[in-house]
Amino acid sequence: MNIIEIKDLSFSYVEDTPVLKHINLEVEKGEWVSVLGHNGSGKSTLSKLIIGLLKADEGEIYVDGILLDEESVQEIRRKIGIVFQNPDNQFVGVTVEDDIAFGMENLCFEREDMVTRIKEYAEKVKMSEYLKKEPHNLSGGQKQRVAIAGILAMNTDIIIFDEATSMLDPKGRDSIMEYIEELNNQGVTVITITHDMKEAVHSDKIIVLKDGEVIASGKTTDILNDKEKLNASNLELLLPLKLLYKMEEENIDNQDVKDLLWQLSLNK
Amino acid sequence: MKNIIIGQYVPGNSFLYKTDPRSKIIALIILMVATFILKDILQILVLLSIVLVVLKVGGIEIGRVAKGLRPIMILLMFTFTFQILFVKTGNELYSEPITISYYNLLMAVGIALFWYFTKRFIKFKILYFLFIVTSIIALFTLYSPGSVITTSIIEIYTGGITGAFFIMIRLVIIVTMSTILTLTTKPTDLTLGLEQLLKPLSIIKISSEELALIISIALRYIPTLLDEANKIMLAQASRGVDFSEGKLKDKVMQIISLLVPMFIISFKRSDELANAMEARNFVPGEKRTRLHVLRWTMIDTSVIIFGVFILAASITIVVI
Amino acid sequence: MAIKFEQVNYEYIGVDGTKFKAIDDINVEISDKGEFITLIGETGSGKSTLVQHMNALIKPTSGDVTVYGIKINKDFKKTKKIKLNPLRQKVGLVFQFPDYQLFEETVERDIIFGPKNFGVSDQEAKKRAKKIINLVGLNESYLERSPFNLSGGEKKRVSIAGILAMEPDILVLDEPTSGLDPKGRDALLELFMSIHKELNNTVIIITHDMNTVYKYASRVLVMNQAALVYDGSPIDLFTKEHIEDWNLDLPEIIEISNNLEKKLNIKLPSMARNIDELFEMLKEVIL
Repeated sequence: MNIIEIKDLSFSYVEDTPVLKHINLEVEKGEWVSVLGHNGSGKSTLSKLIIGLLKADEGEIYVDGILLDEESVQEIRRKIGIVFQNPDNQFVGVTVEDDIAFGMENLCFEREDMVTRIKEYAEKVKMSEYLKKEPHNLSGGQKQRVAIAGILAMNTDIIIFDEATSMLDPKGRDSIMEYIEELNNQGVTVITITHDMKEAVHSDKIIVLKDGEVIASGKTTDILNDKEKLNASNLELLLPLKLLYKMEEENIDNQDVKDLLWQLSLNK
Repeated sequence: MKNIIIGQYVPGNSFLYKTDPRSKIIALIILMVATFILKDILQILVLLSIVLVVLKVGGIEIGRVAKGLRPIMILLMFTFTFQILFVKTGNELYSEPITISYYNLLMAVGIALFWYFTKRFIKFKILYFLFIVTSIIALFTLYSPGSVITTSIIEIYTGGITGAFFIMIRLVIIVTMSTILTLTTKPTDLTLGLEQLLKPLSIIKISSEELALIISIALRYIPTLLDEANKIMLAQASRGVDFSEGKLKDKVMQIISLLVPMFIISFKRSDELANAMEARNFVPGEKRTRLHVLRWTMIDTSVIIFGVFILAASITIVVI
Repeated sequence: MAIKFEQVNYEYIGVDGTKFKAIDDINVEISDKGEFITLIGETGSGKSTLVQHMNALIKPTSGDVTVYGIKINKDFKKTKKIKLNPLRQKVGLVFQFPDYQLFEETVERDIIFGPKNFGVSDQEAKKRAKKIINLVGLNESYLERSPFNLSGGEKKRVSIAGILAMEPDILVLDEPTSGLDPKGRDALLELFMSIHKELNNTVIIITHDMNTVYKYASRVLVMNQAALVYDGSPIDLFTKEHIEDWNLDLPEIIEISNNLEKKLNIKLPSMARNIDELFEMLKEVIL
């Protein structure tokens, strides 16, 4: 069952300079999809279009069967949460607990309900001891985890990570990627938007964008095998993958090596 | 990473900390009215002692309050001097003619400048100021060579002296009471209290909830902004901006090199924050529930009653 | 020795009264001829504090930092003859976020801002700007544009151009490639390398990317919890030291080489420096 369906989506900020051209995208419930593209490929506008922060020039977006338009936008925002790139510019609350509460306050949750949920979800993202802390005392990774808690607390089960790790240090990045993996294992539908192939290979499905168009889309393993498309994508390939391609080019047939390189490419 | 205390809040657990911010704000306003109603120096001294008792019972260090008075020191000193020299009620205490000439006027300006540049080195600033003022008056009284600009008489009356002390004590009371408020109330609680109290503003289409949200977001970003301002200063210093010196023209350029990046970063931040807020179903003007609620207790009612009592007493004393 | 640190400490008092040591007993020397240094360490280890001493933005709380002959310690007082500002032209520091420094109306005016502060004429500065804008990978048409309408990567390049235009002898860059995609990253690093080779100056890069360290650095400084724990060659760092103690990762080439050796039970003749070398070695061993 497709929980998100994007049909023929086009968008431009300035007339005649389209940022996205005729994008088609399908996400099944519980899937983990990566939207992979170089900087300038248009991927950054996608998340804003899906929740109606930007209005598409052409095309339709369906979330859980509901067409996105002016009437349905609030309902759709309840179904999808977005973790943005800059941890500091999405932290609204004066303290961690205030920030987790923000979304629930907007949805008019009862106070006792909010208190329970804050405790529960802070625990889930391992920020229980930080509830009274102020954001300027937190690391980037910690702030992103608070953002995740705030989204989960609203009973949202589709989360888009819009380059959510690009401003974090390696430690922060790893901890968030680990957590995303956990979330997906628990049934949350995840979409990661990134330019980092190392992150994209964790997902079930990859959609490769280049200059506003989808140039490849499919299961991760299929995409990794599509040498042509990957080379054309302007993306930096993974090292083991490059070695694998070289072996194929020179017709070297060692299966053990190939298997190992394949494993390493999938980052397992 | 450096941490900054916002406002003057200092944690504690006296009754002042257990009061709802609304009652503290209302009590503050009531007591301020009382302060302005009183006319006699004895009355104002009584009010001052009441305030000092509140301080003591509330467990607040006098030292912290004194710090709160520092910014208005200069105002106090000028008002004090002004009152003494120009109020002419009561009995005359001192009367001498003074002559201002170009020469001693220049010297007076010189003395004033000297005071301005040396005052930071002197410990007892009030006394130093009074000493300077006395010197200038002595100068005008005793030494006036050269062509005369004008002559006048310095007259000091008892009314001037009591008036000076009266105004000074009144200012001290007002600043002290405000300081008590900010010392014992967290900025976020203050915002919550104001939000509730300003609800009636909805009549003139001003939403107190939105106002409160704006204030709390601003509070949340103050440490971030201070940190960024520091980093911007370092980045520009690395490009040769020397913040420690420069003529006026250079100072303007220095300030611009700090302000422009701060503004740009703030605009970008507002845009991203607004998107994040909308993504979390924020709709300006719509009803929202709240995590933090204020609780009115007996302590708060007592505080209000106390304030009203003082006000009533003040009105009675003045009228009778 | 252009820069010399002798037993340098920097501590400050946090709001709760506790003392925090940002850098602890640092001893290091850096010349301005031909060094390509990477400064690495996890977040909070003191890297930024360390480099801010190099162009005299901050003074140590104890110990001496000598920069181009000027000794800076906690008692330093500037005089008519000895000022710290000129040092910032010799040691150019590029901060991580271009938003902290871009402020002029046009890219050209922003690039010439630095040099002009150090006395370079308007004409000469504009000449430099023209040359440097091309060097950082943007064409001349960018000079007339507003710096605020550029993409993140373009802003990064303009901010770097602004420091390059000052023609410093030592170029210090705080995470210059963060936020750039891999192609952008490589382009910028190649630029620094080519400038370094052409001018034989010293480049110091703060980075979290071990691949950058392995590929470009001739010397690595490792910071861990305010102390300088390693000062030497990259290859020794990655093959001999216990870098996990310092919360560091291995460069991809080394990690993959190790994996190949372990899982396939083979021994590669030496540590490959890049993917082509690794491939050739791999071919040798398995064929």
